[in-house]
Amino acid sequence: MNRSMIRYILGCVVQIEGALLLLPCIVALIYQEREGIYYCIVAGAALLIGAIISHNKPKEQVIYLKEGCVTTALSWIMLSIVGCVPFILTGEIPAFADALFETISGFTTTGASILNDVEALSHCSLFWRSFTHWIGGMGVLVFLLAIIPLSGGSNINLMRAESPGPSVGKLVPKVKHTARILYAIYIGLTVLEIILLIAGSMPLFDVFCTAFGTAGTGGFGIKNDSFAGYSPYLQWVVAIFMILFGVNFNMYYFLLFRNVKKAFNMEEVRGYFIIIAAAVGVIFVDLCGTAVNAATALRDAVFQVASIITTTGFSSVDFNLWSQQCKVILVLLMFVGACAGSTGGGIKVSRFQVLLKTVGKELDSYIHPKSIKKIKMDGKPIEHEVVRAINVYFITFMILFASSVFLISFEGKDLVTNFTAVAATINNIGPGLEMVGPTSNFSVFGTFSKYVLMFDMIAGRLELFPLLILFYPPLWRDMLLKKTLKRKKLQ
Amino acid sequence: MIQGKSQKKSGLNIIIVGCGKVGMTLTRELVREGHDITIIDKNPQKIQSVTSLYDVMGLVGNGASYSIQMEAGIKNADLIVSVADSDELNILCCTIAKQVGHCATIARVRNPDYSKEVGYLQEKLGLTMIINPELETATEAARVLYLPTALEVNSFSHGQAEMTKFKIPEGNPLDGMEIAALNTYLSNKGKTVNFLICAVEREGQVHIPSGNFVMQKGDIVSYVASRKTAKTFMESIGFKTSRVKNCLIVGGGEVAYYLAKQLLHMGISVKIIESNNARCEELSILLPKAVIINGDGTNEETLREEGLDYVDSFVALTGIDEENILLTLHAQQVSGAKVITKIDRSNFKNVINKLDMGSVVYPSNITSEAIIAYVRAKKNSADSNNIETLYHMFDYRAEAIEFVVDEKSRLTGVPLMELKLKNDVLVAFINRNGNIILPSGKDCIEVGDKAMIVTTHTGFKNIVDILA
Repeated sequence: MNRSMIRYILGCVVQIEGALLLLPCIVALIYQEREGIYYCIVAGAALLIGAIISHNKPKEQVIYLKEGCVTTALSWIMLSIVGCVPFILTGEIPAFADALFETISGFTTTGASILNDVEALSHCSLFWRSFTHWIGGMGVLVFLLAIIPLSGGSNINLMRAESPGPSVGKLVPKVKHTARILYAIYIGLTVLEIILLIAGSMPLFDVFCTAFGTAGTGGFGIKNDSFAGYSPYLQWVVAIFMILFGVNFNMYYFLLFRNVKKAFNMEEVRGYFIIIAAAVGVIFVDLCGTAVNAATALRDAVFQVASIITTTGFSSVDFNLWSQQCKVILVLLMFVGACAGSTGGGIKVSRFQVLLKTVGKELDSYIHPKSIKKIKMDGKPIEHEVVRAINVYFITFMILFASSVFLISFEGKDLVTNFTAVAATINNIGPGLEMVGPTSNFSVFGTFSKYVLMFDMIAGRLELFPLLILFYPPLWRDMLLKKTLKRKKLQ
Repeated sequence: MIQGKSQKKSGLNIIIVGCGKVGMTLTRELVREGHDITIIDKNPQKIQSVTSLYDVMGLVGNGASYSIQMEAGIKNADLIVSVADSDELNILCCTIAKQVGHCATIARVRNPDYSKEVGYLQEKLGLTMIINPELETATEAARVLYLPTALEVNSFSHGQAEMTKFKIPEGNPLDGMEIAALNTYLSNKGKTVNFLICAVEREGQVHIPSGNFVMQKGDIVSYVASRKTAKTFMESIGFKTSRVKNCLIVGGGEVAYYLAKQLLHMGISVKIIESNNARCEELSILLPKAVIINGDGTNEETLREEGLDYVDSFVALTGIDEENILLTLHAQQVSGAKVITKIDRSNFKNVINKLDMGSVVYPSNITSEAIIAYVRAKKNSADSNNIETLYHMFDYRAEAIEFVVDEKSRLTGVPLMELKLKNDVLVAFINRNGNIILPSGKDCIEVGDKAMIVTTHTGFKNIVDILA
C-alpha cells in the first residue's frame, strides 16, 4: 500500500480546508463578529499542519483502487474533524459529538441538524455550515485532482472512490481536465442561481447560504423554519435549481460541448424527470383536496419532491402533516435519490433502472431458462461487473440500513422516527418524519445514536464501500504485512 | 479556466486503435509527452486495464467503424494511429478517418504483400505514415550483424551516419583514457578517424561527456560517425569487425523473413528453424537461398544438430519473449556467436538489462519512436516535418534527435562555440548536402542542414530548443 501517497494527499486536503476556512473569517470581518478569530486560528493551524504532513512529495505516485478508497474515507473523516473545531471553540456547539455531527452533516451534504435554534448562530458559523455543503457536493478530492499536479493515470481511482454512481468515467482523456470541467459547470450553475436569487430580493447573506445548500444538495437552512418563510418566487427558483443539481453533470457537458442529441437521449435523466413528474402529480392532487389553493399546492409539491429526490432537504412546508400516501411517496423518493454524476445522494436513479431491468431479465429466465439477454443502458450493453456491483451495492445498503435502525432503536423511539432518521442520513437528505421531521431536529437522539448516524452519513456520501473497507480486517493485514517485510530487508 | 474549451492546449488529440503490445507502449510514451489520448479496442478487459494504468480515455468498439470514430472525437483529433493486429483493419481505419476528420493517419502494416507497395498506399489513400515494425526490427538487427562487436547501431540521415553503441571490455586501450586524448591516440597509430563520442552510460547514469571525461571498462559508449568510418573506428580501438559469415535464426515470423532477406543480400548465409510446417513451406518458397529447418528451436538437441556451437551469429525471433531470452542465454554459454534477442513486451526491463545479453531489439519501441518523432515535429508546425529521426537511448534517459533546419533562427550561421547551449546537449553531427560533418567549435549550423543532437533532456521539438 502506498502509504506515503495517502499521507501526502491527506496533507493537501487539510491545507485546502485551511484555505477554505479563511472565507468564514472574511464573513466575520464583514459582520464584525468575535467568532471569526477562532476561524482564523483553525485556518492557520490547518494550513500549517497540512503543509507539514504533505511536506515530502513521494516519488512513487501510483495508487490503486484500495489506496483511492482509503484516502477518500480518511480525507473525509479528517475534513470533518478539523471542520468541527471552530464550532466547539466559539462555544456555539460545545459538545464534540454534536459539533462533529453538524460538520459531517455539512460535508456529506445531508443537512440534518442538531441545533434547536439555528438563527442564534453567528454569521460566520452559518456561512461555514452552508459552505461545507458546497465543498462536499462536488467533492474535495475532485477539487484536488483539478488543481494539484499529480502524475500518473492512476488518480482516476481517487475520483472513482469519491464520485457517486455505478461507474465513474471521464469526460475528456485527462483526469485533471475532467475535474476542472466538472467544477466549472458546478461553479457556473451556482453563480446562475445566485444571480436569480438576488433578482428575487433575497438578502445577500441568505443568497450565498441558500446557493451553497442547493448546489451541494445539502439543505442546511439558516432560518428555523428552513425555507417556508421565503417568497414563492424564491421557492420556485430553489426548487428548479435543486432539480438541476440532481441531473447527471455529463448531460451538461454534452449540452455545452458536444451534442444536444446525446444529452437528451440519456435514459437516466429521462427516468429522473418522469419520477419527479409522477410524484408531483400524485401529491398535487392529494394536496388539492386539503385546504390550500392550487398554486400553493403545486409549489409545495414541486418543492418538496425536488428537495427529497435530490436529497437536498430544504423544507417549505411541514410535510409531516401531509396524508399518509404523500409521506410514503416522500420516503420512497428518499431511497431513489438523484442521478449518478450529480451532487445528490440516495441509491441513484440509474442503479434503480438497472435493478428493475435485472428483475425483468430474471422473470424472462423463468419463461426461457436458456435465454441470453444483455442489459442495456443508453443503447450500450452494460458489462456484467457493473451489474453485479449494483446488485451487491443494493444488498449492502439494505444490510447497513437495517443494522443502523436496529442500533438506534435501543433509545426507545418509535419506528417511523428511527426508520426515517436512518433513511434521511444514509441518503444524505436531512429531515425525516415524526420526531426528526422538518420542524424538529436530531438533538432528540443520544450520543451513541448520533455516532451511528454519522457513520451512515459518510457511508452514504462515499457510497458505502470506501468507508466499509476501512473496517475490513484484510485491509489492515495488507498494511501490516508490508511493514514487516520492509524491516526484514533492513536486517 | 475550462481546459476543454481553451485553445492553448499543451498536447495533441490522438486516437489510438488497438491496445496490444505496441498500443500499450505507444500510449505510455505519448501520455508521458503530455498528449490527450483516446484508445479504442474491441476487448473490454484491455480497455479497463489501460485506463486504470494511464490517464487516457478508453472506448470499446471497432476502430474502423464510423460511429465509434465519431464517439472517440475524430473530428477534433490531430492524429489517429492504428496499430491493431490486422493490417487490413489498420488501413481501413485510417482511410475512414481521413474522410471523416482531417487528421494525420498512421497505420501499421506488416504483411509483405502490402509493405511492398507502401509508396502507392501512402499516396493514394492519403496515409501520412506507414510503419512496418517487423521490417524496422530486421533492419536494426541486420545493422548489428554488419558490425557484430557493437551492441546497437542506429542510423540517421537515411543511413549515411550511424550512432553505434559498444561496451568497453577489460584490457581495452580505452580504459582509463580521456575522450580528448582518444584523438591523439588514434592519430599516433596512424589512423585519422572522424568520430564523436556523444553519450556514455555508467552504472545507470547517462553522461553527455566533455573532452576531459575519463572512460572506464564497463562503460557503454555511444559514438557517431559516418557509415564508412564506423568500422575503421572500431578496428582502431581494438575491436574485431569482421562481418558474420552465417546466421542461425530461431522463429520464422515476419521479422525473420525480412532479416533473412537482408542478410542474404549482404552475402551472409542464413538458417531458419521454425516449428510450423506450413510456415516452413512458405519460407522455403520466399527465401530459396536460405536453409529452412522444420523443428523445435527451443530444443537443445535440435540446436546442437543445426550447429549452434559453430555458428557466427544467433538471432532469437520467436513470438515468446521468455523463450528468446533463454535461447540467447543458452547460445552465449555454448558458443561465441554474436547474439541478438527480440523482446516484444516491455515488462521487466531492469531484469533484462542486468542479464547482459548483448544486443536486444524492441519492435514496439521502434514503432513508438517513429511515431513520437512525427508527433513532436507535428506539434511545431502543422505540415512541415522537422524531425527526421528520433531515438530513445538508455531506456529513455537520453534522446538522439536529428532535426531538419529549414528556417533561419538564432542558431543558424553562428559558430558552435559561440552558441550558449543548455547543459547536457551535444551537437553530434551536421549533414550538409550529404556530407557528414563532425563539428568542432568553429562549425556553424546553416539553413538546409540536418543537425543531430544528443541530450539527456526530453521533449525537444525544434532545433532552437537546444539553446539555453
